[in-house]
Amino acid sequence: MDNYSYQLYSQILKLFWRVFLAIFGIAALIVIFPFVKSVVVMFVIALLLAMLLNPAVDFMESRGINRGLAIVITMLLILGAIAFTVSLIIPGIISAVESLTSKLQSDVITDINKRVEEFFAVNFNNAELARNVTSKVNEFGLKLLSNMAEFFKSVGSFLASVAIVPFLTFFIIKDMRIFKRSLIAHIPNKYFEMSLNILQKVGNQVSKYIQGQATDAFIVGCLSVLGLFIINLVFDNPVSQFVFIGMIAGVANLIPYLGPIVGAVPALLITIISNPPNLGIVLLWIVITFVLVQVIDNSFVSPMVVSKSVNMHPLTVVVVVIIGGNLAGAVGMLFAVPVTGIIKVTSAEVLWGLKNYKLK
Amino acid sequence: MSNPIWEAVESRKSKTADDIFKALKNVPIFSELNPREMNEIEKIIHRREYKKGEPIFRMGDPGLGMYIIIKGLVNIVEEDEAGNTTTLAVLKDGAFFGDLALLDEAPRSASAIADDDSDILGFFRPDFLDLLYRKSKLGIKILFSLAKIIGERLRRTNEQLAVLKKK
Repeated sequence: MDNYSYQLYSQILKLFWRVFLAIFGIAALIVIFPFVKSVVVMFVIALLLAMLLNPAVDFMESRGINRGLAIVITMLLILGAIAFTVSLIIPGIISAVESLTSKLQSDVITDINKRVEEFFAVNFNNAELARNVTSKVNEFGLKLLSNMAEFFKSVGSFLASVAIVPFLTFFIIKDMRIFKRSLIAHIPNKYFEMSLNILQKVGNQVSKYIQGQATDAFIVGCLSVLGLFIINLVFDNPVSQFVFIGMIAGVANLIPYLGPIVGAVPALLITIISNPPNLGIVLLWIVITFVLVQVIDNSFVSPMVVSKSVNMHPLTVVVVVIIGGNLAGAVGMLFAVPVTGIIKVTSAEVLWGLKNYKLK
Repeated sequence: MSNPIWEAVESRKSKTADDIFKALKNVPIFSELNPREMNEIEKIIHRREYKKGEPIFRMGDPGLGMYIIIKGLVNIVEEDEAGNTTTLAVLKDGAFFGDLALLDEAPRSASAIADDDSDILGFFRPDFLDLLYRKSKLGIKILFSLAKIIGERLRRTNEQLAVLKKK
């Protein structure tokens, strides 16, 4: 074999192995993903939390507190705040759900059954058909309830996984620099400076974005709580659990365009079910409150706290939320936009690096 | 009972740390740091190996930080648009270069090419800025040393300029 043939042969062999490894890698990912899905989701949540909490840890370290201790203090403060809020809200939610359930059972379902029977008796003079229809309605109701039980079961397993997240978060914050250094150590010299620069810039942008989103969600949550509190004061408490609903609105705000609607729905539903005397006006005021919160958010809060580099088209948002939902359920829907934001920022920085560094 | 494999790993590790400490001590920017502070620097520097002829950075690339040669040879080279090169300096063990990039991202004014297989340490601006925030006392010490070096260079440049003007 002459020299040229040998070189060509080795190049073809190299290319074959690359293509083979790429196909094998993708296939392996597809096969493995369902088994490691929960771990990936937990890791992504821990990474996002680490980016959110890191500035507080850095601040304490700059004040002379040991890094490990600073992480423990920050996480205890956060966990304490969550536990305090949950302990305030949960008993209220349980009592509200109980009262709603009894209300639904006593009033709504009996009422529907009665009306259906009357309707068939009057229009078709067929009591048998009426009974069939009502039994179907009851079956549907039972199915809905069992689905809800499944939903709560999955929430339970989700909560169990969440218990691992604080541990992951602790080690990510503590050893972030070591991870980065180990990662960069394997990059060839040719791409070393560019990769280090990009990694740093992406890290900065992403953590600014996540901190901005969290601040925005917090402010929207507070504004929603305040708005609902005022409605409760004026209209004699039509919206029970307004603190919880306001918080949902804040968290839902992480999903642009869809979030505000998702945030308003629980408040409207609870009000409809509790059926206050001036229902129409209360509903109108709830809608006005949420629109007002969005106006304040879009005009003042968001431009100040959320990075502009991750603006997304509404269609992109809808598509990624659907994909997130398919991949990891409700959690996937919630984190779809931030994760897409991270991918967008990373791509922009990689393009910047490729443009500015001489790689030939 | 001692484990020969573990001992070999440990001795290699401490030898590496010794090399790094020695190299850092020779760099004026780090020369006034105590062992504890030196330990902090050791945590954030990157050790790289370059083959002969391999570029460390290229002229025009965004500046990212400085390099310290533990062992090897590095040519500092200016390239024109036609691709012709002029060697500005040849740096040996213990020398450092690219230190101005610790201050800003301005494009590199020359290329650095390994002229022999070289063992090099990199100290970069993002890590330095992070250190400056987290351990401000240490950061300020380094910043002050860097300012002294730049001041000294400026003084020398002024003197040379004065000599040239007189001519």
